[in-house]
Amino acid sequence: MTPALLSDSPPRSSPLSFEEQDFIDRLIVQHRGRPGMLLSLLEAIQERQPNKYLPVEVLDYLAARTGIPGAQIYSVATFYSLFNLKPQGEHTVCICRGTACHTRGSRNLLERVKLQLGLKEEDEDGSAEKMCATTADRRFTVRTVACFGQCALAPVAEIDHSILGHVNERALEREVDAIKRGGQR
Amino acid sequence: MKRISDLSSFNDVREAGLSKLLPDRPRIAIGMGTCGTGNGAESVYHAFADAINTRGLGMNLARTGCFGFCAAEPLVNVYLPGKPLVILQRVQPNDVPGILDDLASGRMPTGLALCKIEEWDHITGHVRFGVGLPEIPHWHEVPFFTGQKKIVLRNCGLINPNEIDEYIAIGGYQALYKVLIDNNPDMVIEAVKAAKLRGRGGAGYQTGIKWEFLRKAQSERKYIICNADEGDPGAYMNRNEIESDPHSLIEGMIIGGYVMGATEGILYVRAEYPLAVHRLNSAIEQARECGLLGDNILGRGFRFDLQLVEGAGAFVCGEETALIRSLEGKAGRPTPRPPYPAEHGLYGCPTNINNVETWYNIAPIVIKGPGWFTETGSAKSPGTKVFSLVGKVNNTGLVEMPLGTPLKTFVYDVGGGGTHGRAIKAVQTGGPSGGCIPQEMFDTPVDYESLGQLGSIMGSGGMVVMDEDNCMVDVARYFIEFTHSESCGKCIPCRVGLDKSLYYLNRITQGKGTEADFDLLDDLSRMIRDTSLCGLGQTAPNPVLTTMRHFRHEFEDHIRAARCRAGVCEDLALSPCENSCPLHMNIPRFLQLLKEDRLEEAFVSVVMDNPLPASTGRVCQHPCDNRCRRTGVDSAVNMREVHRYIADAIYPSDRFDALASDIAARRKPLTGKRCAVVGAGPTGLACAFYLCMLGHEVMVYDSNPAAGGMLRYALPDYRLPKDVLDREVELIRRTGVQFTFNTQVPRDVSLNDLDGQYDAVFLSIGTWKESWVYLPGTELTGVIPALPFLEAVSKEQPVPLGKRVTVIGGGNAAIDSARTALRLGSKVTIIYRRERKDMPAIPEETEAAEAEGAEIVFLATPHRIVGGPDGRVQAIEAVRTKLGEYDSSGRRRPMPTNEIIRFACDTVILAVGETVDLDFAKASGLKIKESGLIEVDRYTLETSRSKFYAGGDLITGASNVSNAMGYGKKAARNIDRRLMNVRRWEEVFPSFEYDQAPPAHASEAPRHHVEEVDAAQRATTFAEATIGLAPVDAMEEACRCLRCDVRNGDH
Repeated sequence: MTPALLSDSPPRSSPLSFEEQDFIDRLIVQHRGRPGMLLSLLEAIQERQPNKYLPVEVLDYLAARTGIPGAQIYSVATFYSLFNLKPQGEHTVCICRGTACHTRGSRNLLERVKLQLGLKEEDEDGSAEKMCATTADRRFTVRTVACFGQCALAPVAEIDHSILGHVNERALEREVDAIKRGGQR
Repeated sequence: MKRISDLSSFNDVREAGLSKLLPDRPRIAIGMGTCGTGNGAESVYHAFADAINTRGLGMNLARTGCFGFCAAEPLVNVYLPGKPLVILQRVQPNDVPGILDDLASGRMPTGLALCKIEEWDHITGHVRFGVGLPEIPHWHEVPFFTGQKKIVLRNCGLINPNEIDEYIAIGGYQALYKVLIDNNPDMVIEAVKAAKLRGRGGAGYQTGIKWEFLRKAQSERKYIICNADEGDPGAYMNRNEIESDPHSLIEGMIIGGYVMGATEGILYVRAEYPLAVHRLNSAIEQARECGLLGDNILGRGFRFDLQLVEGAGAFVCGEETALIRSLEGKAGRPTPRPPYPAEHGLYGCPTNINNVETWYNIAPIVIKGPGWFTETGSAKSPGTKVFSLVGKVNNTGLVEMPLGTPLKTFVYDVGGGGTHGRAIKAVQTGGPSGGCIPQEMFDTPVDYESLGQLGSIMGSGGMVVMDEDNCMVDVARYFIEFTHSESCGKCIPCRVGLDKSLYYLNRITQGKGTEADFDLLDDLSRMIRDTSLCGLGQTAPNPVLTTMRHFRHEFEDHIRAARCRAGVCEDLALSPCENSCPLHMNIPRFLQLLKEDRLEEAFVSVVMDNPLPASTGRVCQHPCDNRCRRTGVDSAVNMREVHRYIADAIYPSDRFDALASDIAARRKPLTGKRCAVVGAGPTGLACAFYLCMLGHEVMVYDSNPAAGGMLRYALPDYRLPKDVLDREVELIRRTGVQFTFNTQVPRDVSLNDLDGQYDAVFLSIGTWKESWVYLPGTELTGVIPALPFLEAVSKEQPVPLGKRVTVIGGGNAAIDSARTALRLGSKVTIIYRRERKDMPAIPEETEAAEAEGAEIVFLATPHRIVGGPDGRVQAIEAVRTKLGEYDSSGRRRPMPTNEIIRFACDTVILAVGETVDLDFAKASGLKIKESGLIEVDRYTLETSRSKFYAGGDLITGASNVSNAMGYGKKAARNIDRRLMNVRRWEEVFPSFEYDQAPPAHASEAPRHHVEEVDAAQRATTFAEATIGLAPVDAMEEACRCLRCDVRNGDH
């Protein structure tokens, strides 16, 4: 078996903007034939999306341009926890559920922040260990990660890619409040 | 960067790097791994950069990786030419000006110094910084580093990971150069085989043999892969290695590619490690520029290149066949082996996969040879392994130790023991594939085989320390929840089996589990282990199997008593405080009732949960404080003092009479059953109260003339005034409990008599016998045991106390004796053999004793008591002890030294512990344990004789008031169940309507403490030494409660 190549067939009509199509086409050329191509493509595309997710149109386009079956792309996009198929909130609060954080009470942090943002069980995707929920106004996404590898700072939370070590419920509440009030952290 | 094509250009780069590491002016390097930045290293860096810039200082500033001691981050290395490298710890931006002032004037800033390094063995090279600074310890003298051997972490935290020339300066890429020049790949493979280097990802397969497979494989294309998809929660050594020293990994892989005949290498790195990805990518770029990757490497005609692929968050991709599928653009589902990747790997080509840390060992083996490598570690497992020591341990961080080092060295010597002095219960090794090793087995050497024998694995090196606040059933459930959600779903044992395992574990943690569930879970776990397709499924049951094996009693507690002692399993507890309370008082309820200004109902709530609240309100060891969730905000709610306040507000008031009548009126109709309680101490009183409320006729026997036991005869008045106790006993009496005083069982009434007259008998005589230490001189006049001393004082009998008293011991009886002796006008010295933090006494009591003038001598063991010709005590001699190894209680064992200290005294009070009166136990004819304690069923408190129950100190040994009362309450419940054959316990308790909304925000008020009477004033009198909370403070304390009893979604 050889790595998938760029399909020769001309692109079908796509709802994607020309700019977006161009971005994806360039990416494909850059990664063509290399191991890990599909993961790298999906990662780069999701990162560029304002709501950090993979719209189904993008997956369709990718299938058409790479010749990789749509089913396989969908399989990969749903298998890995990094990929989102739904739009994410403007801000992300990520609670580490690693062992060290668990033994130091990260479950309470998660419960507290869900309570603070008014998230309910029915808003959640996935099980307790891979929880991901977005507020109705799409301002916040609360999710968990298996482990940040920040175990010495346990319990750890991450708000918009900045790590908070040795965090307690009050500190987390204050950080989230600050964002809610609209200011920069 | 200049391309390196020959030795002279190689040496040029090396010189350039050395001048950065050992510049002719000060160098400051900030530890900026993710752990450092998470602790504020970024702002420290900017503070340095700004200040150096503004002040125009001639100093170099650099970023480095992490030196491993994460708990002490941010770490800053400072170097002054000719002086040792000094590592500063916990540096904050406001420390920066001072540090720069020192450096600018040629001084080493020593205030924050953690340690110094005079010279460093990078294995591939050697760096001499300088000598001197005797006031700063060498790095290996710091307990966290003692015993560590840095082979894998040889460069971490010492060089700038973004600068290839610094890596080359300390001998980097020399091993590669040597391999290319030698041009003998088989020799390299032989060396790796002879070094017996085993795969550091967990499975421990011989790396050299694996390499040989790939070398021999015939194919045009071969791949080598570094598995950096470090997914074990609780393990982060690979992240740190890559962030701090990416070139060692790259060098190891180029060597691997050359000797195995691969031209392409792939680094599969976890996407959750952005900094590692960034540093590795830039290191690859630099290596390419220097001609260390790509065509014609180092001018030797070898072509090899590396590419980095970011994983996307799938734990199963740590399994090699799944990782390969992932690289092929598929979901990461494993495939059966054989065929092994060495024959049929990525795109069907022969492929080698090794863990990050395995690659780090390659360059040292090439440079130093296999003989050097096997000098470290054990015979079967040579070398070192990096562990991430985290969880409930003081010194968290990365620890590189020779394989075979005992577990206790990690936990106690390196880790510094449990946080907040808590007892450590277990260490979890190997993440979701490993298991929990109990504290009793901490002598186990850490290597592949020894951990395997205990049912765990070494795995990738995660070590998560757990203490008494961690529930082992919850830990098992946690890991199954993890592997369950990470299972790829391909094979049935793992997909369905883990789902069922989780179902049963959930039932058990919810208190719904049965013993059949336990057995089924055991069978199921073995089946999953034996039949799953890949490593994930085969090892996923390990956390369950090991906890079932080593912590069976915790499973039993959950199943038989619906009890989680650690207070983790929420469904089994109202709230953490309730769960920690031996009496299981509904603490949030009385706090809320008080908050709603319903004092009388609060009193009823308290008394029905605990019939001696004014006593426990003064003397309880308050385990609730340690569990209060408010500690996550500021500090615990002062629950003990609030319930004391409620009791004190009612007992002496005119409302008491009516409330006592109300409570007595709640007694259930008479059942016609008769119960005897032997011993009117707190255990017996609690049991009698509840049996009586349940409608039984209750007679309490006691050898003393009044009720209260230790509360009356061992606790001094200044801690518990007897009029307070009298009120409490009166309430119990009014419910209908009867007493027969001055009557000793079995002397005056035999057990057979009791058996004949009663339907059930509860024995709770306490531990009145003082343990005796066998020292020369204990026969002298003036040596007295603590309990009889305290008893005599409380009975106002004359006591033979001299002017200078020495108390031996560190428990509550020792402190009570000391404070009592002070009040009788003596000078007091307390001798305790361990450290202050090991004292069993309540810390507040110890502090109060010192404030009143008692002197405490720690780390001294009595050696002999010296008498005069009149046979009276003249002095006591004690041996100074020093702290030795950690014992099985997790405390350091006091070891005698040669130093003898002498204290002149005329009285010695022995307070080294109390035991059960063995004569009673033997005469009872009941089954007793070796320790002389009565044997009972842990759950029902039944003794070996039918109708007879026992509780309190009689079954546990000397404990404390609340624990003892908890047994009395539990016994009443079980006795009633046996007598009536129905569950009616709950019917005794009134219900209350009160607000069920948690506070929207934690109140701002800090914890309120009781007021102590001035030490000088209180030390001369037996009047109560503390003044309870003022009403307004008690109210504020009640408002501080976060109401953990209210669950989300309840309203």
